[in-house]
Amino acid sequence: MAKQMLLDAYRGKRTEYAPWVPYAGVHCAHIINEPADKFLQDPEIMAKGIVATAKRYKADGIPLLFDLSVEANSVGCDLKWWPDNVPSVTTHPCSNKTPKEAGLKLPTKDSGRWPVLFKAAKIVKPQLEDLDCAMIGGFCGPLTLGAHLAGVRLFTDVYKHKEFAAEVCKFAGEIGARAAEFYAEMGCDIIASIDPVASQIRPATFREYVTPNSQAAIKIIHDAGITSSFFICGDATKVMDEVCQIGTHGFAIDEQMNMNFIRDLARKYGVGFGGNLKLTLALSLGLLSPREDAIVSLAAGGQHGYTFAPG
Amino acid sequence: MAEMITIDVLTLDSVQCAACGYMMESIAALPKDVQEMIVYKEWSVKNKDGVGKFMELKGKVLPTICIERDLVFESIIPQYEELIDEMAKRAPSEAIGKRIMSLREVGFQFDKIQENLAKAGSGMHTRVDS
Repeated sequence: MAKQMLLDAYRGKRTEYAPWVPYAGVHCAHIINEPADKFLQDPEIMAKGIVATAKRYKADGIPLLFDLSVEANSVGCDLKWWPDNVPSVTTHPCSNKTPKEAGLKLPTKDSGRWPVLFKAAKIVKPQLEDLDCAMIGGFCGPLTLGAHLAGVRLFTDVYKHKEFAAEVCKFAGEIGARAAEFYAEMGCDIIASIDPVASQIRPATFREYVTPNSQAAIKIIHDAGITSSFFICGDATKVMDEVCQIGTHGFAIDEQMNMNFIRDLARKYGVGFGGNLKLTLALSLGLLSPREDAIVSLAAGGQHGYTFAPG
Repeated sequence: MAEMITIDVLTLDSVQCAACGYMMESIAALPKDVQEMIVYKEWSVKNKDGVGKFMELKGKVLPTICIERDLVFESIIPQYEELIDEMAKRAPSEAIGKRIMSLREVGFQFDKIQENLAKAGSGMHTRVDS
């Protein structure tokens, strides 16, 4: 395993070969035959699953968690738990009021599941160090977290009630900055803002709500000397210039993007990029050969700022 | 059964994928009077039925909201008014179209979202064996 090579790739540098990150998430629970809901709430089980998965896949880096409900839950959103998936956010405290009117407070290390994560990280970190594997912290980005707080109305409010949307996304950005602080304190080698729904908006909307509300977290990560990234999902073609310019060292995309397009864009902006093994079509459904898909990704990505990863 | 507008939401998985979840929620949060005129379902490509529907409707990206078999919102979570306008354009009768347009100023309602999502099978068919 090769942590330094991964950090170099995330920062857009040349590497001997493409390092590899399985964004394992609740698959870590499956690896140790535990249900996802139990895995996500028990630090010992979580740690066991992460380390077992890092070893199983010979990972150069692995996320501590891939669950975008943590931040929302830590400020008051209710969750529905699933045995084979991440929890879903079921209530939106800002569906009819601003964060201030709803009395929402920034999370502390004791809020929600943050104590579970601190305990899990303490167990995981030295074991990943022994494996030369990076620990990745990922927090919910401002638009996705804004949607968790306000519900689907946010996607109308970004055009029709801009003041409200701005207030919600600003608060979401402040929560993200707090989460970045927590992940830095846990000892994460890489911290990523994960904003999947940022692909579902127009470029101007991205520049208005996502870019500014990501800056506080990015500054915290960079001031701590930690490598940063921005993860986006779906067909993000229309906002990729904005993603490249958001200020992180790199970004990661999913299976719906064309890797040649992404590679050329990342090199133009001098940032790292990761993806995009086809999680659904190849790994889950087997409609494409995972081996051939991997070869296509590796050939397109090359050895310059590229991290091989599922998309 | 009264004439209804059919909405198919093509997703990866509305539980795991936040964008897919909010696409589903944009339909589930439509007000009660609109709910009475629509029938909708999540089609996750994690199972064969979902893949079949994706191919049948000639889907290109995930998530996508299809109204009356048209790919209408592809990787764009719609605004309330956009949804109303696109449903009205494809209404099975002029009367239903007018009735939907009369609800254009109502806005999303959040009190029945979980109930409506359950009716649409949201998150229930997102396994390869489901």
